[in-house]
Amino acid sequence: MLILRVVELQRREFLKLVGTAAVVSSAFGVVHVASASQHTVTSSSGERVVPVMCGACGAGCGLLFVERNGGRYLLPNLEHPQPGMCGRPASALQMWSHPLRLKKPLKKVGDKFVEVDWDTALNEIAAKLKEVVERYGPESVVITRHDVHSWFLPLFQYLVGTPNLIGHEGTCHSASTAARTTVLGAGGPPTVDPDYEDVSYLVLVGRNLDAAMGLIRRLTAARERGVKIVMVDPRVPNIAFSSVEWVPIIPGTDAAFLMAMAYVIINEGLYDVDFVKRYTNAPMLVKPDGTPLSGKEVGVEGDYVAWDAADNAPAPLDKAKDPALVLSEEARQRVGGARTVWELFVERVGKYPPDVAAKIIGVPADTIVRIAREFATARGVIEDGWYSAKNGNDFDTYRLVLILNVLVGNIDKRGGLCFQESAGFPNVCDPAGPDVVTVTGVKLPAPKAKRLDKLLYPLNTSTFDAVYEAILTAQPYPVKALFIVGTGPLQRDARYQMAVEALKKLELVVAIDIFPHDHIDYAHYVLPDLMFLEREEVATVKWTLHAAIQKSHKALDPPPGVDARHAPWMLMEIVRRAWPDRAKAVGYDERYADPHKFEEWERQLVEAALNKVADRFKVSLDDLKKALEERGFVVLKKKSYGARPYKTKLGTPTGRVEIYSITALRNKLDPLPDYRESLYTRPKAPDEFYLVNGKDNVVSSHFAFTPNAKYLGDRTVWMNPKDAERLGVKDGDEVELEAIDNGFKARARVRVTNRVREGVLFAYAFLGGRRSSLITERFAFLREGVNPQWFTTGKIEPVVGSAPTNSTVRVRRL
Amino acid sequence: MTRLAHLWDQSRCIACGACIAACNAANYHSTDMTNKTWGWLASNIRRVEVLRGHRPLLYLIQCQHCEAAPCVTVCPTGASYKDADGLVKIKPELCIGCKYCMVACPYNARWLDEETGLPRKCMEDECLSRVKAGLDPVCVAVCPADARAFGDVDDPNSEISRRLAKSRYVRLLENKGTEPKYFVVVGP
Repeated sequence: MLILRVVELQRREFLKLVGTAAVVSSAFGVVHVASASQHTVTSSSGERVVPVMCGACGAGCGLLFVERNGGRYLLPNLEHPQPGMCGRPASALQMWSHPLRLKKPLKKVGDKFVEVDWDTALNEIAAKLKEVVERYGPESVVITRHDVHSWFLPLFQYLVGTPNLIGHEGTCHSASTAARTTVLGAGGPPTVDPDYEDVSYLVLVGRNLDAAMGLIRRLTAARERGVKIVMVDPRVPNIAFSSVEWVPIIPGTDAAFLMAMAYVIINEGLYDVDFVKRYTNAPMLVKPDGTPLSGKEVGVEGDYVAWDAADNAPAPLDKAKDPALVLSEEARQRVGGARTVWELFVERVGKYPPDVAAKIIGVPADTIVRIAREFATARGVIEDGWYSAKNGNDFDTYRLVLILNVLVGNIDKRGGLCFQESAGFPNVCDPAGPDVVTVTGVKLPAPKAKRLDKLLYPLNTSTFDAVYEAILTAQPYPVKALFIVGTGPLQRDARYQMAVEALKKLELVVAIDIFPHDHIDYAHYVLPDLMFLEREEVATVKWTLHAAIQKSHKALDPPPGVDARHAPWMLMEIVRRAWPDRAKAVGYDERYADPHKFEEWERQLVEAALNKVADRFKVSLDDLKKALEERGFVVLKKKSYGARPYKTKLGTPTGRVEIYSITALRNKLDPLPDYRESLYTRPKAPDEFYLVNGKDNVVSSHFAFTPNAKYLGDRTVWMNPKDAERLGVKDGDEVELEAIDNGFKARARVRVTNRVREGVLFAYAFLGGRRSSLITERFAFLREGVNPQWFTTGKIEPVVGSAPTNSTVRVRRL
Repeated sequence: MTRLAHLWDQSRCIACGACIAACNAANYHSTDMTNKTWGWLASNIRRVEVLRGHRPLLYLIQCQHCEAAPCVTVCPTGASYKDADGLVKIKPELCIGCKYCMVACPYNARWLDEETGLPRKCMEDECLSRVKAGLDPVCVAVCPADARAFGDVDDPNSEISRRLAKSRYVRLLENKGTEPKYFVVVGP
């Protein structure tokens, strides 16, 4: 729920902006019906206001495109359940009219790009794709994405017949998502989130709320009530300029910090015993071999057993009246020496008293103790992680984050860590038995091969770094064609050098984007996409606890000279030209070769999806569509607290919060979290440093290109003043960084700043070190600085498939 | 009397750059022209980071709409003036581009538009138009952290007055005698 102040602001803003009922048609063909309550457009002063979903990063904040007095800019859509905004969309018009925007289809001829017309590009791609599929099988085609077009891409994937739609998550949230899945039975980052507006004490571990900005707005309500915010991070992100406590931890030691917090909370009895007993698997009995004691082994029902202190006998985990957290010796003998999960967890936590942890994490023991006490007594929340691919031990970190929230019993309560209400916006395609069924009910054959990264990392969301290895080794099967849609693998993935070699080996690389990211140089074809202001999109509102969907309206046509098209159109045209019968099966034929006609075809898909949403929430489709047209969003269900795990079981094997993860056990991982070493080599010599990376609210892959980013973006490498003094490095000096784990060398300018702890360097991901040959001298600033992925180890966290993006470097003064 | 003023809450600002970039978009049509005076984008808000103290500090600097504005005092043509609404404004038709105002400003809040040869500062046309229409200036409208407010400090019921009443705040370089109307909130 938005706070009253925001509502007041919004009312003040909009009542002044909006006249009474009006119908306005713009020069750009966007028509909106407006009324005093619908806040879309006023015609009296010639203003045009269009609801859009931000595409400047993956958060999808609600914005309004405004045309006023001949100027154009963006404002937050304050009625929206997740309103923007930040420096990225504030620079969106610079992205729209950017001189480096990809303008025409390009084809690589020799080592140069030549412009070709759309028909030539699409026909040639279709012919090559067909040849690759016939020769090597459909699984030899891989598609990669970030968030852009992620709803549509599975349709293209299944029409091609490949299992390999493999996203960016291996260097993003694969680890934290695996933690949410194994501990809480939840899913991606927005499926569980702090209830920011009512939170009393917030701990951010490696998360800086650089997106979504609606979270910042909600946190403002908590600030009004005096929330305390603690930030555990080796560097100071932008949010730490506001009132927060910064805990400058040694990189990769977060799990030790969290273990020590658990130590304090357990030893001082600050945990919620009732919650732990009733809703977690803490009372579950585990045999000495580490597997759960099953009911039939002790003559009771069920797969999981607890010791019921009320009956002094074993009982099914869910039926014990007073499940014991600690067994008496007599009880233990009667269950074959089994121990409770709680006993095992307490023993594990016992390895990390604050004074021991303090030496690992580089933060005083007093600080750990104080934060643990404050967090537990305030019944606080530790944020559950988004961009979590940092150190290669991140699965443990985020399991512990969730478990600490559980220890204080603050799950799905107002101000707690809450489950998001699902909007139920259906996927464009879903596996159904032996088939795949589209949202319009068309059956497509399911791919026969298994997704190649899943073979290696079964608990991942995606691990694209595994694809490079497959390209180079042809294992588990050959990969020959790659579609890169709205994502930058060379800024994103952690095996940079391997990626470059792999891209060179492919027979077909098609890059669909709006800007020349580094991978464009390795593409055989480059297809210019529409940016978010130029297209329609209906999507779930991700970063809200309410169930909500939104529609981004088309606000602008591409600027003159930019012959960009909608990526789904390109992909369907490629399918139609390669396999007309497959296209026809989903109702797509040459009529839709006209991009404007295509919009009609795409709307049928969206309408089918909306129909399912309307059915689910028992609202009329017309009302749903009307609201999306006029306001740009619909809240389908407000957050209701206290459902999971209280009334509804969790999606874990035990149906409970799993402190001891059955899923981890089944995948041969330690079922209990622990502090493990990072996967990269630790710095040892005085000139060796951790190189940590991160994002911020003035960082995104597209924002990096804007003229504003020249000043608002920071492409330096940060060094603590004490380190700088020790090495004789001055602010602005150029240094050479040499990767300890892969030997890569690069130069960068140093910013001497207290925003990073001693022994650690920091560089923004996605901003600096751009290498595309299409970058002109005017935008030479893009080449400044480093791409943190140059220095990474390339090792990948087992099972969860998270690739560490932090690294270690040797610094040399130049 | 009306005395319009800006409030910036340092304890809430998350340095997201929305106000800085939105000023560029709304007032300068998203131009990529460089603001050479500040080594910055074409925006009326400048970011200053203090990075050597015991904790990092951020300041957003813009025209302070001083009651005793040195830029107005030194202007030889009356182009810089304090309006009846309390805002310091520029009449470009009177400005001769002498830059006295830029030199006189202790906040370095003005920058030179090299295309026109005239100084620029907060607030520009779109923001003034918005204020005239009863809307917030664009920097206030876009702020996701509710770190900004704008309004009449002489009206006790205005948003800015209400926030000042419950906050600890400072004004920058008060010792210069400028009586600035840019209120920097440092905490509740």
